Amino acid sequence: MFELFSDNSDQFLSGLWVTTRLVAASFLVAVVLGTLIAALRVAPNKWVNRAGGVYVEIFRDTPLLVLLFIAYPGLRRSGVEIGAWTAGIAALGVYTSAYVAEVLRSGVFAVARGQAEAGLSLGFTQPQVMRRIVLPQAARTVIGPLGSITIAMIKNSAIVGASIVALPDLLKEARIVNSNTFQTEESFLWAAVGYLLLTITVTIIFRSLESRYAVRR
Amino acid sequence: MSFEWVWTDNNLRFLAEAFLINFEIALIAMVLALAVGLPLALMSLSTIAPVRLAAKLWVDVFRNLPLILMILFLALQMPESLKSGWQDNAPGFLPDALRSQFILAGITGLVLYNSAVLAEVFRAGILSLAKGQQEAAAALGMTYGQQMRLVVLPQGLRRMVPATVSQLITLNKDTTLVSIIAIQEVVRSGRILSGTAGNPFSGGGDVQAPILSVMIVIGLMFVAVNLTLSRLSRRLEERGAERTATTPAAPAVAETAPA
Repeated sequence: MFELFSDNSDQFLSGLWVTTRLVAASFLVAVVLGTLIAALRVAPNKWVNRAGGVYVEIFRDTPLLVLLFIAYPGLRRSGVEIGAWTAGIAALGVYTSAYVAEVLRSGVFAVARGQAEAGLSLGFTQPQVMRRIVLPQAARTVIGPLGSITIAMIKNSAIVGASIVALPDLLKEARIVNSNTFQTEESFLWAAVGYLLLTITVTIIFRSLESRYAVRR
Repeated sequence: MSFEWVWTDNNLRFLAEAFLINFEIALIAMVLALAVGLPLALMSLSTIAPVRLAAKLWVDVFRNLPLILMILFLALQMPESLKSGWQDNAPGFLPDALRSQFILAGITGLVLYNSAVLAEVFRAGILSLAKGQQEAAAALGMTYGQQMRLVVLPQGLRRMVPATVSQLITLNKDTTLVSIIAIQEVVRSGRILSGTAGNPFSGGGDVQAPILSVMIVIGLMFVAVNLTLSRLSRRLEERGAERTATTPAAPAVAETAPA
């Protein structure tokens, strides 16, 4: 069992590294896009709200696999020269951004109304109230849910590798090791260990963030 | 981008029938996952430590592994006798896709993962009931079994309906993953239609079906079904909140995560 790992450690480690980079880059995309969409969702204009809502529903209700087929073979066959990495990161990032937007939106609404009203009555403008009073408190309540989203993202990154041939992530490398050695149980076990390592690391990071910043209400 | 293929030949029907397969797989997996998830949840609330640990281990392992990893592993590692046994003996009224030798691996993977998720949903549902409910039942002289069966579960289960429906949405999307183990559901059918599945059959017509537009149509099918389900889940949530004794002032942050 350990022999399989030491014999193929290059492949497993490079796969782990590819998965890590894929998740990190997609996380950035998801948070930036998700914040923009959440801003639309809490804006005071009804039509702007709706537009954000449509975005969330479309990308949350479409399977990631379908998004990946749109982003990579779909675009390439229509003559768009998109790279494997760009397509993978875009699909995973956009898919997750819908979930991030929902969490941020509910985080904003979880801040008691009196907080914003108190700010307004003290003479803060609406943007000031958002920036100085509502968002700092909202950020604290969303740490936990963002953690579960990140963990889901690590798991979903395996779908990216399974459908885009040119992205040798951890699962793909494990499958290659399996087809070279025919040791299916061990190959998949080491891949599972890699994914659990990543999810445990992320859990620890978010838990310590939560215990430092979260407020009990 | 051309959508001409949609209204030529039987292409749309070809996709719609395959989409039905996804829904069937989702329903079968959901029923089985519920049947496994409820005992798991009760086990994780048990007072006997080894039982609790076993349930926790199951939940933590299957919830934290990528679903596609489990499905691929099961497809490779399931005993040959089981695979061909199913293929040869599956009841004839099932559609071809559900008689495939890999369908057992696909459904088992979906059930393992979703039973772990649902067990957590159930556990949270039971724990969210006001503690006084069970205490009152105990004070009335009910046994543990009676407390669960007559007081806790009827209220707890009702609380879980919305979360279970949203899990069905996730499960619905996850059924596309079995296309990777060559089960002909909607994504695979879409690839066959657009000639990207390495299959000589390319839709049966002269009209080209570009994979981009095929996948967009498939995506819209999922949006239509899942949107209906999420509306339903929201309505159930609003209705259910009034009917059960829940602990007040739970923070309103969505606990949804993509899976």
